[in-house]
Amino acid sequence: MINTSTFLCILRRSTVAGAIVAAAVVVGPASANKDPVTPKQLKLYQEAFMEEVRKGDLLFHGDAAMAEQLGVKLSTTGWACAMCHPMASDTHPHAFPKFQQSMAKFATLRDMINWCIEKPNQGEKIDPESEAMKALEAYITWSNTGSVLVPGKY
Amino acid sequence: MSDELDRIRREMHAVLQPPGVRPDDSLQITRRTFIHRSLLFGAASVGQTFAWWPLLNTIDVAHAAEAPFKFAWISDTHLYERSLNTRFVDKVVRAVQEVQAMDPPADFLIFGGDLAQLGKIEELELGVELLKDLKIKKYYIPGEHDWYLDMGKKWGELFGQPNWTFDHKGVRFIGLDTVSRGPDYWTAKKMTPEERMGHMATLDGTVAGAWAGVGREQLDWMQKTLADWDKSKPIVIFSHNPLYEYYPPWNFWVRDWREVNDVLKPYTKVTNIHGHVHQVLYNEIGSMRSIGMLATSWPWPYAPEGVPKLTKPMIRVDPGDHFDGVGWETVNVNADDKVDVEYIMWGRKEVFVQTPEDHDKSIEEVIRPRIADNQYPWANP
Ligand SMILES: [Fe+2]
Ligand SMILES: [Fe+2]
Repeated sequence: MINTSTFLCILRRSTVAGAIVAAAVVVGPASANKDPVTPKQLKLYQEAFMEEVRKGDLLFHGDAAMAEQLGVKLSTTGWACAMCHPMASDTHPHAFPKFQQSMAKFATLRDMINWCIEKPNQGEKIDPESEAMKALEAYITWSNTGSVLVPGKY
Repeated sequence: MSDELDRIRREMHAVLQPPGVRPDDSLQITRRTFIHRSLLFGAASVGQTFAWWPLLNTIDVAHAAEAPFKFAWISDTHLYERSLNTRFVDKVVRAVQEVQAMDPPADFLIFGGDLAQLGKIEELELGVELLKDLKIKKYYIPGEHDWYLDMGKKWGELFGQPNWTFDHKGVRFIGLDTVSRGPDYWTAKKMTPEERMGHMATLDGTVAGAWAGVGREQLDWMQKTLADWDKSKPIVIFSHNPLYEYYPPWNFWVRDWREVNDVLKPYTKVTNIHGHVHQVLYNEIGSMRSIGMLATSWPWPYAPEGVPKLTKPMIRVDPGDHFDGVGWETVNVNADDKVDVEYIMWGRKEVFVQTPEDHDKSIEEVIRPRIADNQYPWANP
């Protein structure tokens, strides 16, 4: 079986909010790009990313508390994204943007996420710039890490 | 592929597929199977899976049936309470009507598990109410979604013993319970019944672990049940999970497939029919054939790895049509020693992939297991 414990240690919830603020200070405008990146900075960047992955994972799996925290209603049917896309499989973030047959238009991953929320899930579509959307995008792309870019592929 | 999966798969191949062993050689693969037009496609990775694989709905399984008969299979209805989701209700109603309309009628119905979505009394009772319109004899085996709210209490009240056997026109039928023997992941973490059910009801969850299994005492029961059965007479075994190892992270297996194989090895005409995977699936394990059935509720994608080479995949579905990719099945046992499984997929004449692009794996993907369900409050501090 696949071991996920390595991710656990970098995701202590209580420290992450502080870490994101700290990241902003450490990489503040005055020092940006002028010094070699430090291990501490790298750790903070990674934590900031994984915190969004964690939130996106919960949203994607229908977690009511996370949906409420981020002010979104992704489904009214009991369906969650993961019920058609376990481990975010078959989401193909690496194939976007592309002409999407179901929408009959050229679409981004965010367009597709909103289509799934509105159609199969019968939820309320979300602001493409919202934290919920970025978190979903973070989880979906993270879960497909290693997949090769094939933009436009059907 | 992870090293562990790779090791198990090589072991399974060595144990179950010794050179020259296949299901009974009176099994016939029809000529039209060999000249299927998918052979015309090139050697692309998806194209390779077409090769000569039999079409499921025309596969011929040798049987010593005394008289021809048909039975029907419905599974994975995943009913919510009616007030929350009427779509899943609509699909059960449709399946029931279609089975009821079969002419000649089916001798019986097998319900293959996951009647309910969250194991609630209301969900299970809704299922009973919907299936009541079907007047033929019904047999039930449980799915994990039916079980882990009250540990099978309501299911048992409604349907009785989860494993059973009967003989019908020269065939021995066995129903197995592959869901109730999950490891205890809830007591130490002081989960509520709802939390326990929530983890079990998440296919890609990492908390419930390797819950699918037959169990020693049920294996002993199966062995005893088969002891008086002629080794060359047909056996059909129903289970919620496949009786081999396909993709353990989604419990597309039973963890004790080695022991299952030990019990079944002496019998030459074994067909396993299973639910849980919500997809067209076909495999041969030693002398056993295994056939995966559609859900009525929604289709699962094929797993990232481990799809049996013998499976001719089902078509990529339209996510905008909730009747696509789902349905039910008839199993036809003919007098001339054949069993035909026919997939009734709503909204499709052609169930199987026709071109590489019709396959949901035409876009290659690398997939990671999820993380968030293993963290606070479930992870150790
Ligand atoms: Fe199911
Ligand atoms: Fe299941």
